[in-house]
Amino acid sequence: MADTPVRSMPVPAEPAVFSGVTIALAAPCARWSLRARDAALLEKVTGLKLPRKIGEVVGETVCLGPDEWLTRAPAGATLPDGAGEKVAVVDIAERALTLTLSGPAAARVIAAGCPRDVERLPFPYASRTVFEGVEVLLQRDAEDAFTIEVWRSFAPWLWTALTQAAADMEHLPA
Amino acid sequence: MILIHCPYCDEQRPGLEFAYAGEAHIARPADPSALSDEEWERFLFIRANPRGRHHERWRHIHGCARFFNAVRDTVSDKFELTYKAGEPRK
Repeated sequence: MADTPVRSMPVPAEPAVFSGVTIALAAPCARWSLRARDAALLEKVTGLKLPRKIGEVVGETVCLGPDEWLTRAPAGATLPDGAGEKVAVVDIAERALTLTLSGPAAARVIAAGCPRDVERLPFPYASRTVFEGVEVLLQRDAEDAFTIEVWRSFAPWLWTALTQAAADMEHLPA
Repeated sequence: MILIHCPYCDEQRPGLEFAYAGEAHIARPADPSALSDEEWERFLFIRANPRGRHHERWRHIHGCARFFNAVRDTVSDKFELTYKAGEPRK
């Protein structure tokens, strides 16, 4: 009998709704880590347009480092692997999951654990940073819309920390 | 919080994103097997440890993940400047 693959999510599927912010688990998606010294070659292999400045976001592609990018696509999508070329295209879809924070208090909730000046981040913008001790990819899509990508094993802790911060925030003056 | 300028991200970033990685500009010997024990010891363990201006390696580990060099005053803990790995000593 073939085993049936079962996806279990380490955080609740139901969004956590607070007065100024809603924290929710985003739908699973495909993710690739892209590495190359020559960005133009990587663009040719993948057919993607790559941002060249660290922090910049073009569509679903983020520039993370001088030779490192992350790109995302709906679940089930494929990307050429560039075999034989001097590029690395690595499927990391299941390594991380994405939490979305939306609402006027989203920046303050993230600032509870993140040392970046969250409220003044430009958008669109994405960068690795830390939330307390945990490495996250923080992305700002709009004034009050953020996503946080985190490795699965850290997700339950991050979910607890964010929802606790949001619950505490409800008792603070705006 | 200390803010450190990452020469790759070209931004001031919080010190929590960085990891210290020892003294900078220590070149690995081209032919390690030709070294005497004393020379090997000097390469591995002996550091300048100055009071004041210090060239050191840092890594933007929770950011672009790059190693770079910095000049920091070991008394005041102030960063004088940072520059990319591979650039000459400043």
